[in-house]
Amino acid sequence: MKDAIAFAFLGLGAGSFFALMATGLVVAYKGSGVINFAHGSVAMYAAFTFNYLRIDGRLRLPWVDILPTHQVNLPVQITISSGGKVNVWLAVLLALAMSALLGVGMHYLVFRPLRNAAPLGKVIGAIGVMLYLQGVALVNFGSENPQPKSILLPDTLFKNFLGFGKPMPGENLGLFIMAVLVGAVLWFNYKYTRFGLATRAAAGNEKGAVLLGYSPERLALFNWIIAAMTAGLAGVFVGSITGALTPTKFTTLIVPALGAALIGSLSSVPIAIAGGVGIGMIQTVTSTWMTGKSWFPDWLQSGATDAIPLVIIVLTLFLRGKSLPIRGNIEERRLPLSPYPKRIGWHVAILVPLGVVLAYGLPGDFVFAGLSGKWSFAFMTSLIAAMLMLSYVLLAGYVGQISMVQLSIAGVSAFFMARMSANGVPSPQDPFAVSGPGLPWPIGATLGIIVAIAVGVLLGIPALRIRGVQLAVVTIAAAVALQTLYFDNSKLTNLMAGSNAAVPPPTFFGVDVGSTGPRGLTDSPKFVTFCVIVLAAMCVIVSNLRRGSTGRRFLAVRANERAAASAGIDVARTKLLAFGIASGLAGVAGVMTAFQQQQISSSNWVYFAGLIALAFAYLGGITSVAGALIGGMLTGSGLISVFGSHQSSGLHTYTPLIGGVGMILTAIIHPSGQAMLFQPLLQYFGRWLKAARVPEWLVVARRLGPYVVLGLALGAIGINPWRTDEWSRPWMMLVGVLLVLFVRSIVVRIRSGGHEPSSDSPAEVSA
Amino acid sequence: MARLLDIDGVSTGYNGVSVVRDLTMHVDEGEVVTLLGPNGAGKTTTLLTVSGLVPLMAGKIEVFGRSVEGRRPHRIAREGLAHVPEGRALFYQLTVGENLRLGAGKGSLDIKRALSYFPALEPLMGRRAGLLSGGEQQMLAMARALTVNPRLLLVDEMSLGLAPIIVERLLPILRRIANESGAGVLLVEQHVHMALEVADRAYVLSHGELVLEGPADQLAKDRSLIESSYLGAE
Repeated sequence: MKDAIAFAFLGLGAGSFFALMATGLVVAYKGSGVINFAHGSVAMYAAFTFNYLRIDGRLRLPWVDILPTHQVNLPVQITISSGGKVNVWLAVLLALAMSALLGVGMHYLVFRPLRNAAPLGKVIGAIGVMLYLQGVALVNFGSENPQPKSILLPDTLFKNFLGFGKPMPGENLGLFIMAVLVGAVLWFNYKYTRFGLATRAAAGNEKGAVLLGYSPERLALFNWIIAAMTAGLAGVFVGSITGALTPTKFTTLIVPALGAALIGSLSSVPIAIAGGVGIGMIQTVTSTWMTGKSWFPDWLQSGATDAIPLVIIVLTLFLRGKSLPIRGNIEERRLPLSPYPKRIGWHVAILVPLGVVLAYGLPGDFVFAGLSGKWSFAFMTSLIAAMLMLSYVLLAGYVGQISMVQLSIAGVSAFFMARMSANGVPSPQDPFAVSGPGLPWPIGATLGIIVAIAVGVLLGIPALRIRGVQLAVVTIAAAVALQTLYFDNSKLTNLMAGSNAAVPPPTFFGVDVGSTGPRGLTDSPKFVTFCVIVLAAMCVIVSNLRRGSTGRRFLAVRANERAAASAGIDVARTKLLAFGIASGLAGVAGVMTAFQQQQISSSNWVYFAGLIALAFAYLGGITSVAGALIGGMLTGSGLISVFGSHQSSGLHTYTPLIGGVGMILTAIIHPSGQAMLFQPLLQYFGRWLKAARVPEWLVVARRLGPYVVLGLALGAIGINPWRTDEWSRPWMMLVGVLLVLFVRSIVVRIRSGGHEPSSDSPAEVSA
Repeated sequence: MARLLDIDGVSTGYNGVSVVRDLTMHVDEGEVVTLLGPNGAGKTTTLLTVSGLVPLMAGKIEVFGRSVEGRRPHRIAREGLAHVPEGRALFYQLTVGENLRLGAGKGSLDIKRALSYFPALEPLMGRRAGLLSGGEQQMLAMARALTVNPRLLLVDEMSLGLAPIIVERLLPILRRIANESGAGVLLVEQHVHMALEVADRAYVLSHGELVLEGPADQLAKDRSLIESSYLGAE
């Protein structure tokens, strides 16, 4: 027992970090009603800022140089000290100022425009911020990952702390004191100052606050600054405790912090501090002391630490039952409409052959030889991502349940199938074969999907009482716990964490439809066809669900649970059904991923990738099947992203950044996603094209022709002074044309008085 | 007497659909004016437009001689406009004392003055606003509005959900406020006769249009006038 207490003190450092992070989450929630999933990234950026100031004396600004020219550059860094190192405390101050700046930016650019958005929109906004900051860090801080040094009491080591016989670094104590001090100051602030009072007032009733002369937006701004600065403090001072800095640092550590913040209902700073410290201590005791005991279950050894926040979060939310204080008077917009799927048969009849043509090419090879190599792999990735996104569409788009665990559920099915089809016989390709019953793939895959459904329904149970963003928190915690409890747990998978398990290729009546193509690359057209057919079947199933009575029940639950219940719908059953079906869809995606990769490892299913998958599903259009398809094409290392990096070799470093900005913009400007943006446009131009004859084309040519020529000329002239990279030359003319047409359309719109349709709309031309 | 509120030819509504059309009215210093009308007449919308929460569609509104158009609602409030909205907009999680402190500019003095009108609140200072009864909540909403030392007080349906006997006690307090502080009061009310008893002048809206206006005592005498305006008879 004495040992346990000594180990608990060792957890003080991590605990104080959680406590500080939790405080920031509470402050942001008080100020704006947003659960800030990007909080860890703010801490990361501040930590990088601090450490680089200490390394080379330069302050990196939170944006990148996007101008496509080397003559004019956006400033991305300020040299504070040309001689290198900056004084520690000056660096701390600058890092805190940087986090304050991030807070201002988050308020004005993201969460203020999103203040009336549906909860899912805010979640996507936060994920966008997280991706953006990680992307900026990736570009501005390069690939070097400094090991932070301790600032507080760096050289102190208590040899026998409080007489418990174990040494403790002084840093732990310093962090603890800081967390308590920050907590005390903030507690006093929200309890007694007018600003704190007004913040609480505006959280309760915005209209009342406005009518008393307070600006809720101003209050939200200052709260964002405070929240970002606590994240900065945590990131800068946590120092040596958490290892080398990387752009994805702290994103997982947000889960225990969320747990701590939730214990205090996201409104009490002291409880958040106590909870954070407590979670840190319990985790350390579990990982260092309890797991060494003989009574501790063997299979839980590796995952116990990460399961603790999940248990705490589920218990607090489930037992409390009553939800978090919701901001009063905010008029929350609903999720976008979910369109009624039409002409399913036609879509299948056109899209499936299109997919097959992309796989095999057209006969004769000289027109189109079919995708191969990286293109084929990207197409497979897109198709499988679309399968996963269908699961988000059903769960988040149709039933309104924000689940971030779907990718992990896909992982469960893949891992289970891999284990079931393994036979433990080592081969040259697979020297460390996993032991298993060696079942044929159809049985293994079915079992995997069944287990995925079981896990999904189990994780759906909290959703019966936990709603909205809180469910998102639960599912994030579940994803992190699944990662360590299952994927990284060699006791269950018989795999070293991080190593690969082989997946035998699927066959149909002796025909190998595995992903290895004739040239030994992962580009088999047979597998692409297999993917196309599976995806088509899944799309048809989801569309039909949406059209039938189940879909109506789903949408009723999404709109209003009480109203749905009063109309005779069993809400609990409907939700669990949705979780079950969605997990089945995710399970299929997992199985297909395993087939595509031919081997799986835990790194395929990190929770962070699940967040991004949800965000891309949202980008595509979370409420429709078409949205899932578009989301799949947009996804990282999918078809569009590979096309982009093929055109521009340096683009892949900017992918997270572009993705983040895209998500924020989509959430603000077009919450129904790209599918709903393009569909009307396509229909419109389709109709015009069908009706257009030579005279109509002539009118368009006469009207737009000069501008096209001008654009071509500008593009051609513009090549030399602008970007000189090889890849961009052929595109500059096209860019010139697009730019000129864009400017023209704006001018026309302004002249015609804003909301009037511009005069060159094809409908009027043809009329 | 200074003109506190001047509404001139105003149309207002939501999402481009007008609810109130071509309304002209005013409130002077020390005056209690009541705005009457059946449900859906546009009374609440008018008040919301005055305090800047609903944008103006046409016409002009001047509060204390300055146009409200394009100004943020909290800025208008800071000039001395207090609005007790429908639903009271209390901060339920805060105590009565904290609710009052939020409005008070010069601290305890304003709170004391506000409490002098509503002495029943004094023993409740430490209680959370959400735990008060309906009548107490209404008193708190009014007291909170008074802590800002308003020059113009807008009161929307303070009788909503309250027993008539409580309304009878609350309405004369508005009269006292106007007399003692010189503030103007614009009162929206369903209890027509109680409102006319305390008011100086009255306006009657119906379907978004001003159908009747005049001194309160005159309208109180001639019941048929108001009745016909409510029923829409010509």
